Amino acid sequence: MIPVGDVPESTLQIIADNITGRFKLTTQILPPLEQPEYAFDERRLQYNAGIIIEAMEAMQFGNHDKVIGVLNNDLFIPIFTHVFGEARQGGKCGLVSLFRLMKNSDGSTPPKSLVLERVAKVALHELGHLLDLLHCEHKKCLMHFSGGVDEVDNMSLELCEYCTIYLQDKLG
Amino acid sequence: MDGKMSVMIVDDEAIVRESLFHWFKKYGHFVETAASGFEALEKLGKYPFQLLFVDIKMPGMDGIELLEKVKTDYPDTLVIIITAYGSIESSVKAMRIGATDYLLKPFKPDQLSLVMERISVQKRLVSQYNYLKGHLEKITRFDNIIGQSSEMEKVFSLIPEVAQSDASILLVGETGTGKELVAKAIHAESRRSHLPFIAINCGAMPESLLESELFGHQKGVFTGATRARKGFLEVVSGGTLFLDEIGEISPKMQINLLRVLEEKKITSIGSREPVNVDFRLISATRRDLKKEVAEGTFREDFFYRINVIMIEIPPLRKRKEDIPLLVEHFLKKYCQETTKYVDHVTRDTMELLIHYDWPGNVRELENAIERAVVLSKSRTLNVEDLSFIRPAGKPISKTLSLREMEKEYIQQVLEGNNWNVTQSAKILGINRVTLHKMMKRYRLERPEG
Repeated sequence: MIPVGDVPESTLQIIADNITGRFKLTTQILPPLEQPEYAFDERRLQYNAGIIIEAMEAMQFGNHDKVIGVLNNDLFIPIFTHVFGEARQGGKCGLVSLFRLMKNSDGSTPPKSLVLERVAKVALHELGHLLDLLHCEHKKCLMHFSGGVDEVDNMSLELCEYCTIYLQDKLG
Repeated sequence: MDGKMSVMIVDDEAIVRESLFHWFKKYGHFVETAASGFEALEKLGKYPFQLLFVDIKMPGMDGIELLEKVKTDYPDTLVIIITAYGSIESSVKAMRIGATDYLLKPFKPDQLSLVMERISVQKRLVSQYNYLKGHLEKITRFDNIIGQSSEMEKVFSLIPEVAQSDASILLVGETGTGKELVAKAIHAESRRSHLPFIAINCGAMPESLLESELFGHQKGVFTGATRARKGFLEVVSGGTLFLDEIGEISPKMQINLLRVLEEKKITSIGSREPVNVDFRLISATRRDLKKEVAEGTFREDFFYRINVIMIEIPPLRKRKEDIPLLVEHFLKKYCQETTKYVDHVTRDTMELLIHYDWPGNVRELENAIERAVVLSKSRTLNVEDLSFIRPAGKPISKTLSLREMEKEYIQQVLEGNNWNVTQSAKILGINRVTLHKMMKRYRLERPEG
């Protein structure tokens, strides 16, 4: 796990615990990266997730196989209005943004515990893509695509039985 | 979203192509990208993409122009238009031309997800429709006889007319012209349509077997008759009996059948008890029976009995305008059967198909298309895929004796059918045993290697 800019350590720790607990992978929280101003799009007032990932892919992260960056900024990829997180299929680095997860779809503020649960879900989902898992049709599965926070809330922190087998297969 | 699709992203902006590419990859779709309309068309020619995401504003060929070309050349390919300008006008135009949907850039992630859901449903419905249509085509008949030429129009107009009566029909036409299809169509249009349609190729079996097949036999009347068996003339009970190659039957069989047609009764082999039969007879021949009657080789009374109404089925070379339609029909048929996707024919190939004389008629054309579809490596049939066709007008040879001519023609058909004896025998209108004998006689052997 790597904070990008100023991210509370407790948030990173919860994500790390979920990764360890659910995917049975060893995690480590790395020293933070600077705010990714290079990826700021002045027209959209958002951060381009693709550019940040490319920059991260060019960095050395020791012997870590996969790296998940966590940041507070609003992310986008060029075709979409926003994304909660981004990772490329089978890639090395992924991103999770807290920005839109801190608000409910009706604009209200959710309890902190719900925000943390959402962040954990999105981080595990993006890590799933890094481990080559595809989007899943099963609506409750962690790998189901979520376009809004309601859908994030609706999906569980677990993989469905098929994605579980697929993950086990990938991790050997 | 069930089922993976083949998707192509067409956008001049690399960043858009890349974003969508990675998004679709996450669903396990087969994804390609193209930076221009020209590149997209080139890739479409090589691979049957099911879905295109096309940016409306591109230099060179814009999205609308590409959409028009795709809808003309590959109507089954779905196109989603992406526009950054939110121009209602261009989106409406795109929808009119045949775009499946449009998206305004940038779109919410769930909008794209929704579009894909809709496409998935549409795809499932189309596939169900095609399955049912194919199924229906097998049980209905008019659709199976393809043609718009005036010659075929005459045949089409005759079918419902003659179907209403019970008069015997003689279908005359070269081998492979579709005589059995016409017979089935008449049966299906007749009041007997709910009753059996039984087709027998009189040329394919020896007289004794034909007699037993038609009239049936009692148990023990000859070696192998371990039990009594009803003949087709009885089994057809109220339906239509189609006797193909009627010109091949012996004078004795002609007398037997003549009696059945007059008395409407049969007596099975080894029995003395006549049984009443009721059927409508449709016969077919590729021979000139009138001439054979004049020469005394075919019974006149039998000829007039089976020939109350005569329908001539034109050879394919006399209705060449039907060839493109037939090619399209067979392409669809064999794409469905082989799960290959070949939906295009180059202009040169069509020229070749039109100019060829098709001695084996529609059947030969069907075999040629089937073979070309199986062998084709792209979605477009080109001249190389049909290299086994000898162009028309090419003389078989200069001065040949009848035997030499026969040998050369048999060789030509065998080569054209990759030395498949069954297929070649069908085209030649002879049975496999006869073809094997002729191959032996003329020392025709499949070249090694």
